[in-house]
Amino acid sequence: MTRLTGTGRIADDLYLIAHHEVNGRPFLQPRAIGLGLAGALLAELTLPGLIRVWPEAIVVTGRSARPADGLTRGIVARLIAEPQRHPARDWLAFLARTATSDVAGRLVRSGYLTQGWSRRPWRGERWVPVDADCAFAPFYRAGGALDPAKQPTVSGTALAGLAQACGLGSRLAQFGPAGALRHLDETVRQLNPDLRELIAQTQAAVDSAVLSHRV
Amino acid sequence: MFQAQPRSPRPGLSQELAKDRLGVPSVLFFVLAGVAPLTVAAGVIPTAYQITGLTGIPAAFVAIAVILGLFAVGYVAMTRHITNSGAFYAFISRGIGRIVGVGAALVALLSYSFLQVGLYGAFGPNAASEAAAHLGLHAAWWVWALGAWAVITVLGLLRVDITGWVLGVLLTAEIAVILAETVSGLLHPHGGQLSFGTLSPADLTSAGVGTFGVLAVVAVLGFVGFEQAPVLAEEAKRARRTIPTATYVALGVIAVVYAGAAWAMAAHAGQSHVVAAAGQEGPGLLFGLGGGFLSNAAQLLFLTSLFAAALAFHNVVWRYIYALGREHVLPAVLGRTGGNNIPKAASLVQSATGLAVIVAFAAGGWPPMTDLFFWLGTTGGFGILLLLALTSIAVVAFFTRDGQGESLWSRRIAPALAAVLLTLIVVLAVQNYATLLGVPAGNAASWILPASYGLVFVAGVAWGALLRSRRPQLFAAIGLGAYAATGQLAPAVVETAQ
Repeated sequence: MTRLTGTGRIADDLYLIAHHEVNGRPFLQPRAIGLGLAGALLAELTLPGLIRVWPEAIVVTGRSARPADGLTRGIVARLIAEPQRHPARDWLAFLARTATSDVAGRLVRSGYLTQGWSRRPWRGERWVPVDADCAFAPFYRAGGALDPAKQPTVSGTALAGLAQACGLGSRLAQFGPAGALRHLDETVRQLNPDLRELIAQTQAAVDSAVLSHRV
Repeated sequence: MFQAQPRSPRPGLSQELAKDRLGVPSVLFFVLAGVAPLTVAAGVIPTAYQITGLTGIPAAFVAIAVILGLFAVGYVAMTRHITNSGAFYAFISRGIGRIVGVGAALVALLSYSFLQVGLYGAFGPNAASEAAAHLGLHAAWWVWALGAWAVITVLGLLRVDITGWVLGVLLTAEIAVILAETVSGLLHPHGGQLSFGTLSPADLTSAGVGTFGVLAVVAVLGFVGFEQAPVLAEEAKRARRTIPTATYVALGVIAVVYAGAAWAMAAHAGQSHVVAAAGQEGPGLLFGLGGGFLSNAAQLLFLTSLFAAALAFHNVVWRYIYALGREHVLPAVLGRTGGNNIPKAASLVQSATGLAVIVAFAAGGWPPMTDLFFWLGTTGGFGILLLLALTSIAVVAFFTRDGQGESLWSRRIAPALAAVLLTLIVVLAVQNYATLLGVPAGNAASWILPASYGLVFVAGVAWGALLRSRRPQLFAAIGLGAYAATGQLAPAVVETAQ
């Protein structure tokens, strides 16, 4: 195991799963990654019970507790500041617009990503993992949800569930035993209703984008 | 017509989301690109004159535009309450019931599949003749058809869409060329005198009332694609306005362009000669209306239009397959995406169908333009007609349970009128299917093709009934499309802009 084993934050892990471990190229369409990371950022707030997720609203419940990092703190502030309730899918769509660059920025600050340049100049800048090995650490964390022989964790299951929801199922399956995705479905069903809703909403938003040809 | 919405200041999130969403022009372009005007003007109309031997085609476009306008009233009203990219079967599932919905889903799949593969039958021979004339390349029609098939298969797997502006430029050029050809044709009528005969309602029943059934199927075929606007409901800036406006404008544009082009062809060739001229000239019936440059441009654009239409329908078909796979109505593997969110399995199924049909027609030596393009194309159009009729009934049923604040006109009167008229047309079309295909009465094709819908519908209904008894949880999610994952009803569209 290398020095860097990941931040353990769901969105950071999902970012690493969704991008190539060496060249940093995305495995998904930009909008799908954005929606997956938006779901993951909200999952980071759902896990410690800071927010509740329903189809028709996302509500901040633990106003006294403040998330440690600036990115999720900003999301909580935004949730509180919004004068009226919005359905979960609107929040996902809203956060998805900037989630990829936000999470990349957070990974850069944590020392996991560094700026690289595409060989084709018009493609602009790209973020590449500092250490290819550490980019695999998230798969270990998600592994419990994929393998009946292992003990799943709540955050690992949420990570794997969100990864599958945004289209990374086939990539996850490479790191699990046969029938890993079927097992994942069963494990996700045991999550608390908020995380289940979040995963289902993310899945619906990505499917909807695929179907309306606007991924 | 529209329900008044309370206006509330919606700062922040909603406004920021609205910035990324589509307005009427974008939705209209999406719809018209699927309609592919030159494919119909140069492909369907001349072939329809030739095969049916009927001259009331221009009047039929106007009449069908009015009937589809009536249909659209209820259709867009229901779009405000149900959002699902697989529109027809979702509406039918919610209005009539899920079992009938599964039957309708398979009918829709077969219809769009017929429409898609049929286009190879027009692309092949026209590309072959263009290449022979301009490039000196001589190859059979099916070689070109397979070429187009291969490119569409690869584009489907790479998920490279022809970008919006390319389609926009092609579409604008297509409409400009059709209008120019139309004006030129009308300025040079047969015998120097412009005849309005083909626009007369009398021409709709020239050979008895059954004539209208045949003409209506041809006209509906021309309009196919207008129903696609609700696909973008969740992407629209002001879905309550954007989707209806785009639908009505599309209907109006299509009606004027097609009726005008069909009228100009008949006027230029002469009403009594147009059928014979169509038989000799094919798509040249349109191209011959203008001068040399216009004609060359039109021929080239005809090929790009056919290709774009084949790609657009390929996308419609995989969308249906994928949505049904997600709902587990079709095998779940069809509802999965590979890398880059590409629904590979769904896309490949349609590619396999296309390949099988092209190979079968090539091996059988059947004429591609009449049998593949027109027979399968019109049969696809007939399938859409069935769905339009069923959807109208579904709209009435849906709003009967709950008016949802829609006016009596949009929830009851207009859809009921549309249901009666469309059902009447279906009956007339079935009775006169042989005329539609240009074959003697009793010919096997004239009952096998329409009966294929009966077969898949019955199979779908049986499958739906089986799902209800064996897998009630999956059954409950039928018609939810992308929202099958949440198990909640797809949200009604909301107006996101101020």
